[in-house]
Amino acid sequence: MLLFDILLPGLVLGGMYALIALGLTLQYGVARIMNLSYGESLVAAAFGTLSLYSGLKLSPLLALVLAIPAAALLNWLLYRLLLQRLIRRSKDRGAQEVDSILVTFGVLFVIQGVMLVAFGGQYYSYSYLSIPVTVLGSTLAVNRLVALAFAALIGTAVYLALTRTRLGTAVRAVAVDPNAAQLVGIDVGQLAGLAFAFGGGLVAAGGVLVSMFLTFNASMGVVFTMKALVVVIMGGVGNVMGALVAGLLLGVVETAVARLVDPGLTLAATFALFLAVLLIRPTGLFGKAAS
Amino acid sequence: MTSTNRRQLLRIAGAAAIAAGFGATAAQAETDKIRIGYAISKTGPYAGGAGITTLPNYQLWVKDVNAAGGIKLGDKKLPVEIVEYDDRSSSEEAVKAIERLANQDKVDFILSPWGTGLNLAVGPTLNKLGYPHLAVTSVTDKAPELAKRWANATFWLGTSAQISNGLAELLGKLKSEGKIGGTVAMVSVADQFGIELAAAGREAFKKAGLTVAYDKTYPMGSQDLQPLLKDAIAANADAFIAFSYPPDTIGLTEQAQLLKYNPKVFYVGVGTAFPLFKGKFAANSDGVMGIGGWNADSPPLKDYLARHKAATGQEPDRWASSITYASLQVLQQAIEKVGKVDRAAVAKEIREGSFDTIIGKVKLKDGLLQEVWSVGQWQNGEFYALAPASLPGARAAVVPKPEWK
Amino acid sequence: MTGPSKALAWCIGLAVAAAAITLPLYANGYYLALGISILYFTVLATAWAMFSGPTRYVSLATAAFFGIGAYTAAVTGETLSWPLQLLTAAGVGAVVAAITGLSTLRLSGIYFIIFSFGLAELIRQLVIWYEVNIHKSVGRYLFSDITQEMLYWQLCALTALVFLAGFVLTRSRFGLALRAIGADETAARHSGIDATAVKLGVFIVSAVFMSVTGAIMAPRWTYIDPAIAFNPMISFQVVIMALLGGAGALIGPVLGVIPLVLLFEVLTAALPNHFSIVLGLIFIGIVLALPKGVVGLVDQVWRRERSKVTAVKPLSGGGTLLVAETVGKSFGGLRAVDKVSLDVRAGEILGVIGPNGSGKTTLLNMLSGALVPSDGTIRFDGAVINGMAAHRIARLGLARTFQLVRVMPDLTVAENVATAALFRGSRSSAAQESIHELLVMVGLGDMADSPAGDLTYIDQKRLELARALALHPRLVLLDEWLAGLNPTELETGIALIASLRARGITIVMVEHVMDAIRALCDRCVVMSAGVVIARGTPDEVLADPTVITAYLGEPDA
Repeated sequence: MLLFDILLPGLVLGGMYALIALGLTLQYGVARIMNLSYGESLVAAAFGTLSLYSGLKLSPLLALVLAIPAAALLNWLLYRLLLQRLIRRSKDRGAQEVDSILVTFGVLFVIQGVMLVAFGGQYYSYSYLSIPVTVLGSTLAVNRLVALAFAALIGTAVYLALTRTRLGTAVRAVAVDPNAAQLVGIDVGQLAGLAFAFGGGLVAAGGVLVSMFLTFNASMGVVFTMKALVVVIMGGVGNVMGALVAGLLLGVVETAVARLVDPGLTLAATFALFLAVLLIRPTGLFGKAAS
Repeated sequence: MTSTNRRQLLRIAGAAAIAAGFGATAAQAETDKIRIGYAISKTGPYAGGAGITTLPNYQLWVKDVNAAGGIKLGDKKLPVEIVEYDDRSSSEEAVKAIERLANQDKVDFILSPWGTGLNLAVGPTLNKLGYPHLAVTSVTDKAPELAKRWANATFWLGTSAQISNGLAELLGKLKSEGKIGGTVAMVSVADQFGIELAAAGREAFKKAGLTVAYDKTYPMGSQDLQPLLKDAIAANADAFIAFSYPPDTIGLTEQAQLLKYNPKVFYVGVGTAFPLFKGKFAANSDGVMGIGGWNADSPPLKDYLARHKAATGQEPDRWASSITYASLQVLQQAIEKVGKVDRAAVAKEIREGSFDTIIGKVKLKDGLLQEVWSVGQWQNGEFYALAPASLPGARAAVVPKPEWK
Repeated sequence: MTGPSKALAWCIGLAVAAAAITLPLYANGYYLALGISILYFTVLATAWAMFSGPTRYVSLATAAFFGIGAYTAAVTGETLSWPLQLLTAAGVGAVVAAITGLSTLRLSGIYFIIFSFGLAELIRQLVIWYEVNIHKSVGRYLFSDITQEMLYWQLCALTALVFLAGFVLTRSRFGLALRAIGADETAARHSGIDATAVKLGVFIVSAVFMSVTGAIMAPRWTYIDPAIAFNPMISFQVVIMALLGGAGALIGPVLGVIPLVLLFEVLTAALPNHFSIVLGLIFIGIVLALPKGVVGLVDQVWRRERSKVTAVKPLSGGGTLLVAETVGKSFGGLRAVDKVSLDVRAGEILGVIGPNGSGKTTLLNMLSGALVPSDGTIRFDGAVINGMAAHRIARLGLARTFQLVRVMPDLTVAENVATAALFRGSRSSAAQESIHELLVMVGLGDMADSPAGDLTYIDQKRLELARALALHPRLVLLDEWLAGLNPTELETGIALIASLRARGITIVMVEHVMDAIRALCDRCVVMSAGVVIARGTPDEVLADPTVITAYLGEPDA
């Protein structure tokens, strides 16, 4: 069945896109930090997993348990020590965005530099859970399926947490209007820091999972940053469900274009779709229309 | 690690300078070492290629040369001192770095950057400044023309046509021996390298009596090549050919295993010859063909492999690494033959002389190395060269490729 | 800046320019290459800042236009002469900028940033696809005999041009219009600025400079492929350099380019293996230490009075000026305004009152063009204006203030007012009145050069009024202009509004301050839950039992 053969691999690829974008929805969507060093954090987590796996024979799935809290802590520190200072000083959203772009550009270089010193510029790759399973006549890799499942699970969990809990409501209030949130007594700095840290944890999770099936090197971060941005913006800033759906959609579209049109046009199709969504619905697929 | 190396070099150079300093004249002080500079991609998209093929060999060569006392100029040996920059994978930075090495650092010789784009970018500048240009890691069909245009430049990896012809010749032979049928499925990366190889391949396959049943390109940076592979499988060809870059090479091989795709010939592009490939796929690498290959049984190469591993902590790739090292040996021998830092004479000597290197005797023709391996195959953990069969040391291909385990 | 110091600055500037132009005569190849790097980033960053600085639209499309230029040069390299290649590159850049600008410039903020980046990637992917499938080869070879010196001088000329263009732009009304858009696009539109057209025009000019830079640089690299031409690092570097220098001033970007290019050079030599780490740390340090960029350090010096734009005295008319017929507006299922009809006579003050949430501001928004009515007709001076863009309505002579003050904090008081005078409908010189006089009228005479952000609340309101008046409107809509004032300020405010009527300006005011309504309004319209429940003189309506119920029923009021 060609339909399943496009749909399933497409969803699996899309799951990976959603996975690498989840962290950014929180970091950019809620904490309002346009984190240019996002992809580098992801690659750093991949390198960390590789070291644990080749050095200590630690399974990447166990590495997940270590990486998420460690990355969350690092990101929290980054937020408290560096980013919060910028936010306090900026007068408006625009200034804050510009400042966060600039400073995370610096962070990007630092992370990349550390990786280059530790691992050099070469490509790295290892095999884990590279086992075929056949679903509805379509052969898929277990490691990619794990990434999809994780993305769907975490995405849904974060979505529910945001919509069904008090804390989540407060976080969404911060995302929508930090000033108003402050007026109703929410500690915006604290919550945004929390969202940034948790977002950082999710980036690391993405890095750990994609390292199981992608070949990477220290200079590849920007690829992930851009893919994540495309997914986040398409889904609607700060909208976790939107990011999930947008990621899956991109995966299916790319696969369909590769199978039905021309594999040479997959990336062009991604950007065309992305630009079309932005033009028709500037606030993203699930974004609220601006009043 | 690199910085320690550099510090050691400086120390050696310093010691030599002090030694030479006793009763030395100013003129002698100027020639107490040979300064060699290079700008290489330590960051950016080219860092991956430079980090495996080029930089380790520069480091190894400098270490080897200095361990042997240096380069012999006349009757004394001068140690090599290195000046290095990062071109950040940018053409403009590479050009600027060359100008800096020549005008500010006044280095005696300049080693080339990694990749076709950067080598072509610095070509005119090196030509204008009169430095010998060992454009090892550039694969272009324009190489003969460029070698004519730039008398100081030499090309070492053959042209795209050479690589594709070698592959077509091998497949044609397998077909005539009845080992494979006549159909080929071909995918290529949408970059100059992939396109040139695919274009040359189309012609060469036709000439060799092969039919191309599937022929598609994919964009650089694609993160999932499964759809492509599925359509290639559907074409039911005897040989799968991918003119791919390292991440795709790895990705395609992994997906082929998942899909239990076992064509008689499985050929993937750049990256197949990397130690990473063997490390990742272990026994499954057996039978996979790719660009490059070397005569692994030759003692100088065995020795080189051991030294490379000891000096840089990693194995060399089995395509351009040994040639890169050999090109540096050629440079050294050319300098020694000329006997002084006369760049024009050295450039001429590189083109015209014949040299003993780890890859055997090297004699360039019109600035191009002719004897280049185009197809290699992993056999029992080593990437042996298969084609062109006319070269000494060529092995027989194992066909059909053993099934994935 | 005083006379002598200005002269000194000019002398230094000329000396630097002369030294730069003659560089190839005395510098070696390396310094020339360094000069080329500085110049090409200077052109790119200055062109970038020309558009992105004032509008604050952070564009990541620099690589797209640079790449288009480089590619055009590579493609036409064998067929066209060099000047023609540059012209073609400029033309292609302009066309692409126009097409993309038209479709994208209505996006703002982060959406624009991402879109501009997506655009660069899309163009790159399409070029690759074209090259692979149509041209059958991806890389282009460009053999040219242009020497490093010639290339350097071309860039010098281009740098001079980009500065000239920037200089002309900042002094033209478009420059101020752009800054107004950057400060507050809504307010700018209501000041009569066709924001889209202005943005598009400047975007194209900026893109042309980037394309020509690409075309000039291309031959230097012999070989052009999409990865080289459309290298996204170029976009990032340009943004960083321009922001570091300060994108608000013409000279800003170059103050970022020079230190960064030099810093890169020093680091790459001193620490080739730790380059990234040190660079990153220095970068973070710079951002923390220099919030407004290098140019921010000398910002005050550069601040000066910019324009002497003048305003025309308001015109007075007769008869009915504004008519609304059964105007309504729905938001989803909510009927915010339902079948409201009213007419405003020339020269009168009409009060619109009613409890909170009764639809007053929505009505005002429809009258001024901020919202398009769901149904009904609005006529201003006989012409139907519903659905018309805000800036066009403003130019017809219908101005407004906002309930929440919208001044452009980074612009000076005088500049804030000048934005409104930029694109007046008529330029009648019958009765000219300087902005200063306008400011004197509202009581801001001595604050002309202060940044608007420094004003007190009442002064910001005065400023907003002055800005509305600079359109020399026939009708002014005041949205709770008196709210939040203390008793003394209130008196001043009421007197000010009265003085406007004395000058023949018709006024519609939404207001909660009943004393002001009584003192000023000729007639009143009372709204409740989206409909008009009473009309008449202030005393009549305030005694109306329906009105009293409406207010008492809404304890918020």
